[in-house]
Amino acid sequence: MTGRLPALGASDKLTFLLSLIPYLMDHDSVTVTDVAAHFGVSPERVRDAVRLIAVSGIPGETHQYLDGDLFDIHWDDFEEYDRITLTHLVAIDDSPRFSAREAAALIAGLQYLSSLPENADRDAVASLMAKLSRGASAPPTQLAVSSPDSDTAMAVIQAAGRDGVQVEFDYLNARGEHDHRFVDPLRLESVDSDWYLRGWCHLRQAPRTFRLDRMSELGATTQPVGSHGAGLMLPDSLFQASDEDLSVTIELPASALALLADYAPDRRTTAVTGHRVQTTLRVAHHHGLKRLVAGLAGIVTVLEPTEARQAVADWAAAGAARYDDPTGEA
Amino acid sequence: MPTTPDHTPRTTVEERLFSLVLALIATEIGLTKSDILSTVQGYRQRFLSDGDNSNLERQFERDKDDIRELGIPLETVHPLDDPGNNHLLRYRIPKGLYNLPADVSFSPDELMLLKLAATVWREGSLSAESRRALTKLNSLGVDSSDPVLGYAPHLRARDASFAPLSKALDHGQVVAFLYLKPGESSPRRRRVAPRALVLHGGRWHLYGTDQDADATRTFLLSRIVGPVVIVPGETFLPSGEGMGQQALDELDALWQANIAELDVEAGSDAAVRLSKRKAGKPMADTSPTGNDAESTLTLHYTDVDILADELAGYGPEVYVRSPLALRQAVRTRLVGVRDAHTGQAARELA
Repeated sequence: MTGRLPALGASDKLTFLLSLIPYLMDHDSVTVTDVAAHFGVSPERVRDAVRLIAVSGIPGETHQYLDGDLFDIHWDDFEEYDRITLTHLVAIDDSPRFSAREAAALIAGLQYLSSLPENADRDAVASLMAKLSRGASAPPTQLAVSSPDSDTAMAVIQAAGRDGVQVEFDYLNARGEHDHRFVDPLRLESVDSDWYLRGWCHLRQAPRTFRLDRMSELGATTQPVGSHGAGLMLPDSLFQASDEDLSVTIELPASALALLADYAPDRRTTAVTGHRVQTTLRVAHHHGLKRLVAGLAGIVTVLEPTEARQAVADWAAAGAARYDDPTGEA
Repeated sequence: MPTTPDHTPRTTVEERLFSLVLALIATEIGLTKSDILSTVQGYRQRFLSDGDNSNLERQFERDKDDIRELGIPLETVHPLDDPGNNHLLRYRIPKGLYNLPADVSFSPDELMLLKLAATVWREGSLSAESRRALTKLNSLGVDSSDPVLGYAPHLRARDASFAPLSKALDHGQVVAFLYLKPGESSPRRRRVAPRALVLHGGRWHLYGTDQDADATRTFLLSRIVGPVVIVPGETFLPSGEGMGQQALDELDALWQANIAELDVEAGSDAAVRLSKRKAGKPMADTSPTGNDAESTLTLHYTDVDILADELAGYGPEVYVRSPLALRQAVRTRLVGVRDAHTGQAARELA
């Protein structure tokens, strides 16, 4: 193995060609628009693929790629009405199998999503995974994701979404403040093991993001959702930078920068000594910063501003003091 | 057979690969390399019937690898009477192994789940693999049902070692890397035959055979320092299915066996979040000290240092009662952070 990647795009294009043919076989005559929507690609990509398929085939007995050795389509339908009708098939007539890695990617994805209410039927999911394995040309790559317990919070939120009602819960926000929220649920998002609800918050009268593990006493209400959520464009990024954010200078090993990817949007660093670098972190408040830094003990040091440094020092000192037991246990 | 290249425009990569797949599926007995280079679209235009075709041959070797990477079973058939003769090797794609088995079909609900599963990977090679798997699924013509609520799941594999390890896993190659165990002053070089990559407790682990210890070991990807390199010439037979599950079972057993007992400040971030944790069960309404402001809870864990990192983040909101190793690990971290942030920052500020 050379470690070389196939030319970017060629693998995807080949997969699309091989997948498009059995789909077209099963649909006597179908519009380019419908095909594009089904595969989630642009109409132009469909047209390009059809043009290529229509002139492709096998060398044949003569090795000359004669007409009978090539695929064919109804050209008038295609050129005048943007419709695809396959009139001659060559060599393939079925969907290709998955590769070992393709099957593994989907199986691990399913394992990761096992806490969703849609996945509540464990037997059904197990049979789905078995089908993926059977549909692969080699045993799936051994990639596995431990299944979290099914989360009742997600089930409550999903049911509320289905019934079109608001959810309510006590929320402990990132600044450590408690309040009670009524929210129109719009989307459940996750980053690794953390799950978030994005929705319209009636308290703030604005779209907001809530961590599921900071909710208590979650329940569905009988209040219907408002119209705010409809057509609301949620930003793609969970973490929004704000003008009120604090800039904090920190020092850490270059190798640890990835741990802070969510906080360092500019990625500018200054080399210090050895493998250590300085960079600027954007945080909303000291409340979050002190927790972040204490959780990265021995890795990240806050240099300035002084108040931020002090907040971290106080936090760690208060934590350490709990072990200064008179009995000397620790 | 044409001896001069056509004057048709140069064929694209996908046209060449597509034509190769079609030709190899259509043949029962297989095609020799010279059959392929001289007749298949994309090669024949560049084939010299009485010249040096070594560039084209190398192209064919790479194309074969690329096609196999997509899960297409491209076989090499050795001649029965002359097995050592490479010129007589034949290549083909058996249709029965290419076609998705007839009993593999998916319902609209299953397709919805698979589409969601494919969106989990948004970066790296698994994202591309998922995308191609979805394209193949779409060829079945089933329209997926819509989930009730929008979902945007996202799983990251941020460890730099993830990509090289998963590649080595696929190809059955032994790897070497420097591994730093907590408490050891310097990393040690390990040679490992990778068996599975598993995500457990939010961390990626490599499960494999330590070649020097000749025993199965589990490594945390976050403790691999520096690059993962392939050990030249050392390969092993893939151990087949079930290794991932075996790795998870072992980690689960470890998780089950390790129990931490903590006091958490009522209403704090620690209390709200740790009690949501699988088996983060409150032991009693109040702590034995009779202090209403605190409750005691137990937590399972797999790795004392990882849990200590997390608990240190909660500062004074958490007090570790047991085990002693965890208690000391948390205290050491807090003292370290306190001391590192006390007094002037040890540098010249510009």
